[in-house]
Amino acid sequence: MKKKRIGVYICHCGGNISDYVDVEKVRQAVEGEEIVFLSKTTMFACSDSNQRDMVDDIKAINLDAVVVASCSPKLHLQTFRNVSIRAGLNKYTYVHANIREQASWAHSDNKVGATEKAIQLVKAAIEKSRYAEALETNKIKAIKAVAVVGAGVAGMKAALSLSDKNCDVVLIEKEATVGGRVAQWGSLSTTSETGKEMVSRLYEDLLKRSNIKLFTNSEVIGNKGSVGNFSLQIKTKAEIVEMSVGSVLMATGFDPYTPMQGEFGYGLSDKIITLPEFKQLIDEQQGQLIYKGQKIQNIAYIYCVGSRQTDGENTYCSRNCCTSTIHAAVIAKKKFGDLNNYHFNRGLRTYGKQEVLYAESLRSGDIYLQSYEDNLPTVAVEKGKTIVKINDILTNGREIEVEADLVVLVTGMVPRADNSVGSLFKIPKGRDKFYNEVHMKLRPVETVIDGITIAGACQGPKNIAESVNSALSAATKSYSILSKGELETDPLVAVIDVEKCSWCGACEKACPFDAILKIEKDGKILAEINNSVCKGCGMCAPVCEPDAVNLIACSSAEIFSMIDALV
Amino acid sequence: MEDSGKKLTYDALVIGAGIAGGEAALNLANTGYKVLLVDKELSVGGKMIMLSKVFPTLDCAACITTPKVSEISRHPNITILTGSEVSKIHKISENHFTAVVTQQPRYVHVADCTACQLCEQACPVSVRDQYQFGLIGRKAAFIPFSICSPKAAAIDIESCTLCGACEKVCPTNCIDFTMEVETFDLEVKTVVIATGFTLFDPKNMPRYGYGVYKNVLTAQQMERELAPTRPFNTILRPGDGKMPDRLAYVLCVGSRDASVGNPICSQICCMYSIKQAQLLMGALPMADVTIYYINIRSFGKGFEEFYQQAKGMGVNFVKGKIGRISELENGNLMLRYEDINTGKLTETEHDMVILANGVLPNTGIDKFFDNEKLALDPFNFVGQSDMLASPAKTSIEGVFVAGTATGPMDIPDSILSAGAASSEAISYLIQHA
Repeated sequence: MKKKRIGVYICHCGGNISDYVDVEKVRQAVEGEEIVFLSKTTMFACSDSNQRDMVDDIKAINLDAVVVASCSPKLHLQTFRNVSIRAGLNKYTYVHANIREQASWAHSDNKVGATEKAIQLVKAAIEKSRYAEALETNKIKAIKAVAVVGAGVAGMKAALSLSDKNCDVVLIEKEATVGGRVAQWGSLSTTSETGKEMVSRLYEDLLKRSNIKLFTNSEVIGNKGSVGNFSLQIKTKAEIVEMSVGSVLMATGFDPYTPMQGEFGYGLSDKIITLPEFKQLIDEQQGQLIYKGQKIQNIAYIYCVGSRQTDGENTYCSRNCCTSTIHAAVIAKKKFGDLNNYHFNRGLRTYGKQEVLYAESLRSGDIYLQSYEDNLPTVAVEKGKTIVKINDILTNGREIEVEADLVVLVTGMVPRADNSVGSLFKIPKGRDKFYNEVHMKLRPVETVIDGITIAGACQGPKNIAESVNSALSAATKSYSILSKGELETDPLVAVIDVEKCSWCGACEKACPFDAILKIEKDGKILAEINNSVCKGCGMCAPVCEPDAVNLIACSSAEIFSMIDALV
Repeated sequence: MEDSGKKLTYDALVIGAGIAGGEAALNLANTGYKVLLVDKELSVGGKMIMLSKVFPTLDCAACITTPKVSEISRHPNITILTGSEVSKIHKISENHFTAVVTQQPRYVHVADCTACQLCEQACPVSVRDQYQFGLIGRKAAFIPFSICSPKAAAIDIESCTLCGACEKVCPTNCIDFTMEVETFDLEVKTVVIATGFTLFDPKNMPRYGYGVYKNVLTAQQMERELAPTRPFNTILRPGDGKMPDRLAYVLCVGSRDASVGNPICSQICCMYSIKQAQLLMGALPMADVTIYYINIRSFGKGFEEFYQQAKGMGVNFVKGKIGRISELENGNLMLRYEDINTGKLTETEHDMVILANGVLPNTGIDKFFDNEKLALDPFNFVGQSDMLASPAKTSIEGVFVAGTATGPMDIPDSILSAGAASSEAISYLIQHA
């Protein structure tokens, strides 16, 4: 093998690395390696000016490959592969060493140790670089059609936006009608349109589009394939339909939180209802507000039910319940006249322009009582009365009680209980159990599964406008994957040695992506890798007894040389 | 119409090259459209490129912004004009807008400048550095900041004495005092407004003493002190260079306050203050940090957990709006407020105060348009004609809005809003092709 000429760049990450790792020492430790022809430290390896310097260096001293020691490859592997391309190198010759997450951040209490570890990681990367081969990307045909799962406002907007872009859409809705949660709502904040009217407007537009195929009462029950060509099985009321699309956009929404029996009195009295029930009540009633035969005068709203839990699992804030509740309270007062609204809250979160609504409610005489974080309000049901008690911060901790004709539990958003579609596509979830994006700021609507985007409240609590923004972003992303008609996939996949393989099925069981097929070739049963599905994760390699699976770019020679450098 | 400038033709004009404008431009460019991206500053990257780390993930802002900036700068479908402003946007018909772009002279030929900084060293004029929010000085011949793009010097002609020292030392002869204002006549098919926001000037609230008391800073100044490209190598109070150990954050400065004309919540100050407090706990392990708040609004994904994490780290949260700040002889500051938890009027001494100043609209954007009216909302942000169902649409068909030009927003929301605006713009281009 020809001896390579390698350049090594060690990044300060503006202090993220250099505050704990002595980057100059790392540089000195590797500059003498026989294949290292250039070693440099840099403040921000990813900055435009450094990228230009790298291109110039590669050309000036004829480097065959570069190693950058910086942050996680999740952030910048692609950045430096692109630098390699611009310098005329094959992008797969580039090797990344992560000395931020794996050294400086992990060992911020031990600078000497962090530096030693960084040196080892960079040396291992140099060894890998020695073997890294030039590879060609695979090109696959992309079907210019998108399946949108869920026809709530987010799903409908995504479908319309794709349709505008002359992209075929399959819109799949589990329920009999479109519109999701918003279709159940009356008055909406900031607009004169009701939820039902908004949904009807979108639905009418939807019906005009010849390139949107809507399936209601339908679910996705199967998928073979991957980005560019997912072949979906859709179960409708009557039959099972097969559909091929290039990308899947998930807009499956949320469930409202259901309080547990006894949580703030829930289930102990029929005077205790949830926010969605209350919204429906005020929407349907005219004239007077009557519930269960009783005229309602005093309403107590208890905020953060099922959100910001200190004991339960839902530690997150549900984002729009404060605004939604205040809006409902204002509407109720306008519609039914003399009502008393008591808001038992934990600090109001009417962020941005929603603040105006809070001010309006204060002006109309609504009363706000705020609980201490470790002393939440209580609801007692005594002799048919419901009494809400609180130690109110705003009046110096005084115990205040309200006898409420109606208690509204402000229930937040939780992930859908039924996650069968999510499991089907293996979409990862975050710690809040909503679907997780790749990166909140860099790739907010993409998932780690190529070709699957997420929109609306299935990614986390959102109001309507925020859901639409994410839906349109996801539509653009799905569209941009497919718009060119073909797409490139990494060749970093597993390969089967047909001589050694005798099909035992172990690799198929180990594969998390269903990328291994059982085939018959020349009378022999074998494993075959579906290259467009395989992620090169390597799960199949160690379970293969006859050692018939190899990974491109992670060959045994590369791995053993890296281990030698590390130990 | 005047017909003096060079003619430029693009599919889309994106006004503002911050994180929202950049994202919108990239989406359009990646779909195959030719984009002109205009920014009035000397560098693209907007406000985000100046930040330290960003909540709630504590990613370093530069690590996220610079590669985006690099991608924008290098994209074959994107042309960038910095130091430039747009005017006279005229809608001729659907899919056909004209506009004028005016570029102020930089007095440096960017293509030839190597950012060697010799001009900076030679320049005898020192002024306050606006990119470090006045914490330190810069020269009249200067590179805006270390990770700016384009990375090239500029001459601040207002401060320059025309001594010629920079010209003499420039190894590539790229400094050119004969450069003049350039105008370009533009033809585009769609417009995306991503003009961002401006910040409340706390000098408008004299009771907090900003600009008078040396150790009262804005959050932007603290952001610079915490950034990797920080002006000092540690956290210092500007009054005497002492390292602070009792810091206070005052929230809602110029937000939720009708008395200063801004009744709305700025949506980001709670979170950036909590973030800075966490970073300060790392930078100054012995320091006490107190956040004075009305409500903590940690509403986004991962935000509440981030708030709880700050509490766990020992950040002190006090519910109470600061009434007045006064300066003590040693430069320390006395904060007077009602501690809502106890109901008592309280005074507490701190040695450095950071004002979490709020988000205001950039005004005058409606004046860019000459024949159609760009509607504004009651707070002077760009109005949304169909706020819930199509948040990126404005009162003018074919003109879309992204990011904080429509109202306060954090970075993740700005990026999603930019995604929506570019999606609408792409649909518009396809439908009117």
